[in-house]
Amino acid sequence: MSQGDLLHVVTGDDIGERRRFIGKVLIWGSFALMAMAFAWCAIAQTGYLAVELSSWRLALYAYLLWATCLCIAQVVLHGEQGKRTLFVLPATLFVVAMVIFPLIFALTLAFSNWNLSAFEGPRFNGLDNVRQMWTDPFYWNALKNMVYYTLAILVEYSIAFGLALIQATQIRARRFFRVAFLMPLMLSPVAVSWMVGKSMLEIRFGPISQLARWLGWDRPSFFGDPEIARLTIMIMDAWTFIPFMMIMLLAGLQAIPREVQEAARVDGASGWRGFWEVTFPLMLPVSLTAILIRIIFKLKLADIIINVTSGGPGGATDSVTSFIFREYRDRSNVGYGTLLAIVYLALIVIAITAFMKAVDRWMNPKY
Amino acid sequence: MKTGVYNYMKRAGKLRRRDMLKGLTATGAVTAFSGVATGAGVRPAWAASHDRLRAEILKIPGVGMGSPTDADWQKVGEMCLGPIKEVVSEGEFAGVELTFMGLNNQNLHNFLFRGFLKPWEAYTGARINWIDLAQADYNARLQQSIATGTVDFDIIEMGAPFEGDVLGRGMASVMPDWVRNVIDMDDYVSYLQAPVGTWDGRTYRVSIDGDCHTFAYRTDYFGEGSVTGRDVPATWQEINQISRELKGKADPLTGLDAHGYLDPLKGWGGFGFYFLENRAAAYAKHPNDPAWLFDPDTMKPRVNNPAWVQAIEDVFELIEADAYPADQINADPGTTAFQQFLAGTGSMLMWWGDVGSNARTSDTSVVGDVVGFGINPASDRVYNASTGEWENTMNEAPNMAYIGWGVYVMATVDGDAQRQKAAWSAAAHLGGKDLSLWASAYPSGFQPYRNSHFNYDEWEEAGYDRAFIEDYLGSNADSYNHPNAAIEPRIPGIFQYYSVAEDELAKGFAGQYGSAQETADAIAATWENITDQIGRQQQIALYKASLGM
Repeated sequence: MSQGDLLHVVTGDDIGERRRFIGKVLIWGSFALMAMAFAWCAIAQTGYLAVELSSWRLALYAYLLWATCLCIAQVVLHGEQGKRTLFVLPATLFVVAMVIFPLIFALTLAFSNWNLSAFEGPRFNGLDNVRQMWTDPFYWNALKNMVYYTLAILVEYSIAFGLALIQATQIRARRFFRVAFLMPLMLSPVAVSWMVGKSMLEIRFGPISQLARWLGWDRPSFFGDPEIARLTIMIMDAWTFIPFMMIMLLAGLQAIPREVQEAARVDGASGWRGFWEVTFPLMLPVSLTAILIRIIFKLKLADIIINVTSGGPGGATDSVTSFIFREYRDRSNVGYGTLLAIVYLALIVIAITAFMKAVDRWMNPKY
Repeated sequence: MKTGVYNYMKRAGKLRRRDMLKGLTATGAVTAFSGVATGAGVRPAWAASHDRLRAEILKIPGVGMGSPTDADWQKVGEMCLGPIKEVVSEGEFAGVELTFMGLNNQNLHNFLFRGFLKPWEAYTGARINWIDLAQADYNARLQQSIATGTVDFDIIEMGAPFEGDVLGRGMASVMPDWVRNVIDMDDYVSYLQAPVGTWDGRTYRVSIDGDCHTFAYRTDYFGEGSVTGRDVPATWQEINQISRELKGKADPLTGLDAHGYLDPLKGWGGFGFYFLENRAAAYAKHPNDPAWLFDPDTMKPRVNNPAWVQAIEDVFELIEADAYPADQINADPGTTAFQQFLAGTGSMLMWWGDVGSNARTSDTSVVGDVVGFGINPASDRVYNASTGEWENTMNEAPNMAYIGWGVYVMATVDGDAQRQKAAWSAAAHLGGKDLSLWASAYPSGFQPYRNSHFNYDEWEEAGYDRAFIEDYLGSNADSYNHPNAAIEPRIPGIFQYYSVAEDELAKGFAGQYGSAQETADAIAATWENITDQIGRQQQIALYKASLGM
């Protein structure tokens, strides 16, 4: 133990050779058992052992045993230092079990041919699923739609910013409007689908259709034309989530000291220049956070689409998630569906990372 | 009976008051004589004449006397226990526990089964544990149980389309001969006879329901002086012609635009494909060939043969003619039936047995008094897949969409003779001839499916209006017993084929394919992929088995 550790360690452990040996035996012995259990289960699954594998429970027990031995061994090997490790190690092992194993399982599935109706069960099929994805027009169409949906966030942001600016001023019934504007956010997207998509936009009796007819649109149709259908989905989704951006931006606006705007006015800045050169730059960190979170929400867009258009007409409103939902739920195509989901996850991680890097460079330029 | 039908009859006065009172009196008499009111001390009425028993159960609680309760279900279960008592002795299954997986739709299905089986439990000593599922969760739960080998139920309520997944894998128990006698399978309507419910010549299914699509039309659109000036169409060719001719005319009821046939153009989790099937059946289901979706020897899809292409072309033609209501491309079958047809949009529709009857139970319905029924329209020519030629002959082919629910016993009980007999006796009780009559006549979620269910005298005696019953049941009976009924292929993953076809059809309807043939070819290509993925040889074998070939 180093001299510096004396500040934090109460007892000076004397770790002997025998104790060190026991610690290592605990770790590597239990690890060997776990490796054997995993190997047994893996080989049994292939059918070579002529043993019916009912589950991988044996591997789970072996992992628990190894995790327990690893924790005990920390104390055996390192004494009080090991006890400090125990504050973190069990949680780490739990996270590994809950994240790493399912991820490995998902990756295994992603490169398998597993249709739940196939009698053979999952079969490794190499890159076949990737090749299928590469030539799948429905997936690429859904990805293209996601680009449109994501770009619509810029419009949503502008509207949300405008509403936040109005809310930040001393208007009448300000509290009422704040609550009223927040109402759509409190609604489940499924409820929005039915209330707006299926009822208010119903072509014969829906009030919006009747208004459209009154305004001179003889045969209103909100989901018949691909572009109009996509726009309608965008509007419904925006209606739900603009309040979310608005409330974040409003909080940001209220955090800006009033003196800054007053100083700008004293210096002769007009209303527009005061906003564009003072308020907007100061709001950038909040704005980017709001946009980032909104992008994450948007990439999960599925419920409204599934309920209202099922991705139609002809895939014009399909999102990646709604397509994967059909692939999984209606077609029990677990292998291919998993690959699509993992590729989408990878794309999201890459895109979000790139976005954050770009924002970081923009916000903190290195001269 | 579907709940909607029953409610409709109540509201529309199709239950006669005089007979209702007679029913009430009779119920009182039955109760007084048999001690039903005390629950446990019921003297089974099965000992009395069979006809009398059927009349008596139809008086519980009495048509029009409110929805039956759990107590009523138990009474009916008790009174119909006779056939079981002939093959099972009292307390024979003491200590046996079975698990039943079924639906909880509309608080029916499993809820009824609980009541029906309560007297069975009391008599046999067995106990049932219940797994209740929402319809939307059913498929995923079943497929996951099958795929992961975690079948944790002994008896299952299941639709015939899933027989390929379950029976094809040998996961179900073969029906013992004594069950066949108890439930009187010869009484089933034609299409529920083998091969439905059978696999490789063995029987697995106790039917408790029947399903088919029937033709519903607006009576005020047809006849002399009507908006069409024509008789009710008998063929799909006439339907398309009328639909085109109606463009620009006004609906006689609502005054809004008149429309002809309503094709749902949006998918519905695979169920939407049934509606293209309705058109295609008339063209593609040749009387000499049980197959109409795939070639049984190769599993090559027939969905892109001239018959199916004609069906798709028919829809394209109406889209191009702008004959559908606006936004039809976003109308799924549910929308088409309940938000359009019942609300006075459109004049013709194919649907299961309950759309006409819902006419007055839906708040938005305006067509309650102007609904007529018929079987799936015919075609004036039929395609012969074996010769590759069209034959100019009138062809009818009712579409037995979904075939209906049945009760199946899983192979998990086969290792224990006592459990096996217990499970099968429970299934036989639920599919009993007399109990099924009651389920046909009262809200249960099930439609009539036995020839004996179409004895209109029994319905009239129970208090139903004869004319309506004949109209309502007649179209079902004619479809069920049609010699050229188009039966669903009960192969694994059948809804995968339907679902992917819906996606391709949606693209075709949206104009993304150049023609009906291109659309059909795209569907065929995806079907080939699914067949290869699931296993072609296996699918061929199971398809043949499902067709009884």
